[in-house]
Amino acid sequence: MKVSVISPEALLFEGEATSVVAPAFDGEVGILAGHAPMLTMLGAGMLRVGDGGPAFTVKGGFLQVVDDTVRVVTEQATKA
Amino acid sequence: MAKGRELKGRIKSTENTRKITRTMEMVATSKMKRAQDRVVAARPYARALGDVIASLYNPDLAESFPLLRRPAQERTAAVVLLTSNRGLAGAFNANLLKEARTLLASLEAQGVQVRLHVVGRKGIGYFKYVGRALEKERTDITDRPTAADAAGLVDGLMGEFAAGSLDAVYVVYAKFNSALSTPPTAERILPVAPPASGAAPKDYLLYPSAGEILSDLLPAYVRNAAYRALVETVAAEQSARRTAMKNATDNAGEMLNTLRRTYNRARQAHITQEIAEIVGGAAALQG
Repeated sequence: MKVSVISPEALLFEGEATSVVAPAFDGEVGILAGHAPMLTMLGAGMLRVGDGGPAFTVKGGFLQVVDDTVRVVTEQATKA
Repeated sequence: MAKGRELKGRIKSTENTRKITRTMEMVATSKMKRAQDRVVAARPYARALGDVIASLYNPDLAESFPLLRRPAQERTAAVVLLTSNRGLAGAFNANLLKEARTLLASLEAQGVQVRLHVVGRKGIGYFKYVGRALEKERTDITDRPTAADAAGLVDGLMGEFAAGSLDAVYVVYAKFNSALSTPPTAERILPVAPPASGAAPKDYLLYPSAGEILSDLLPAYVRNAAYRALVETVAAEQSARRTAMKNATDNAGEMLNTLRRTYNRARQAHITQEIAEIVGGAAALQG
C-alpha cells in the first residue's frame, strides 16, 4: 500500500510499505494492506512505517486510510 | 586634467555599487529558490487538510464550531499584515502597504473597528510614521518561517474569534504565483470558509467522531493558511529583491558605459590639446 507522511513544512515520506504503526489519540493503531477506509486523530508518539522503515516522532494531526493509501498528516513531525 | 580625475572617481564608485547590487541579486536568487521550494513543499499538507475537512464538513455542523461562526455583522476585525524586515526590494513593501490601506479603508467605511497586527520592520515603520497604533508588532520572523511562527501569529486571534470578541481576521500578504507574479493579496482566514465539499467515502470509520476531528482540524487549517501566507511572502520578497537588484545592476552598467566614454573623450581631448601646444611652441621657436 502507498504511504505518505506529511507535515506543514514538507512531505517527509512517500512510498510503498507493508504496514504502518501510528500513535492514535487513544493508543497505537496498526494498519496493514486492505484496511477499511478510516480517519483517526493522532496523539503524540512514534510513527513507524513498515519493517525497519523510517520512523518519526509526531504530535497531533490525523491518519487517513482510503483505497489502500495511507496519509499521515501531522502538525509536528521529526525524523527519529 | 581635473575633470578626468573626477570622472575616474565616479567610475570607481559606480563599479563598487554595481558589485554590491550584483552580489545582492545573486543572494536573493538563491534565497528565492529555497523559499520557492518551501512554498512547494507546503502544498501536500494544505491539500490533505483541505480534502479531509471538505469530506467531513456539512453545513449542519457549522453551528457547533466557533471557528465557523458567521457573525451577522462585523464589528471588530483584525488585519494581519506581512511585510519584510529589509528594504531594497523595489515596490514590494509599498504594494503590500497599499493593499492593506485599501482593506483598512473599506472595512472602516463599513464601521468596522480594525485592529492591526504587523509583521516586519517595513510595515511597522510605516504605521509608526502615519501615527497609527498597532496592536501587535513582530520583527522576529526570519527568512525561514516555521509552522510555529504561524501558530504564534494566529493562535491568539483564533481564541478571541471563538470567544466572540473578534468577528473576522484578514491576512494581507504577497501571493507567490511565480517568480514574476507576486500580487499583494488580502484574504479572510476567519471565519473559516470550508473548502468545497467532497463526497466522503462510504463506511468511513471515524475515531473519535466527525465533530471532534473537525474541531481539531479547523484550527490546523487556519494555522496552515497563516503558514502559507508567511512562506509565500518570503518567496515573493526575495523575487522582488532579485528583480530590483538586477535592474540596479543593469543601470549601473549603462551608467559606467556613459562615464567611461566621457572619460576617454576627455583624455583624448587633453592629449590633442597638449600636442597642439607643443607643435605651436615649436613653430613659434622656428619662426
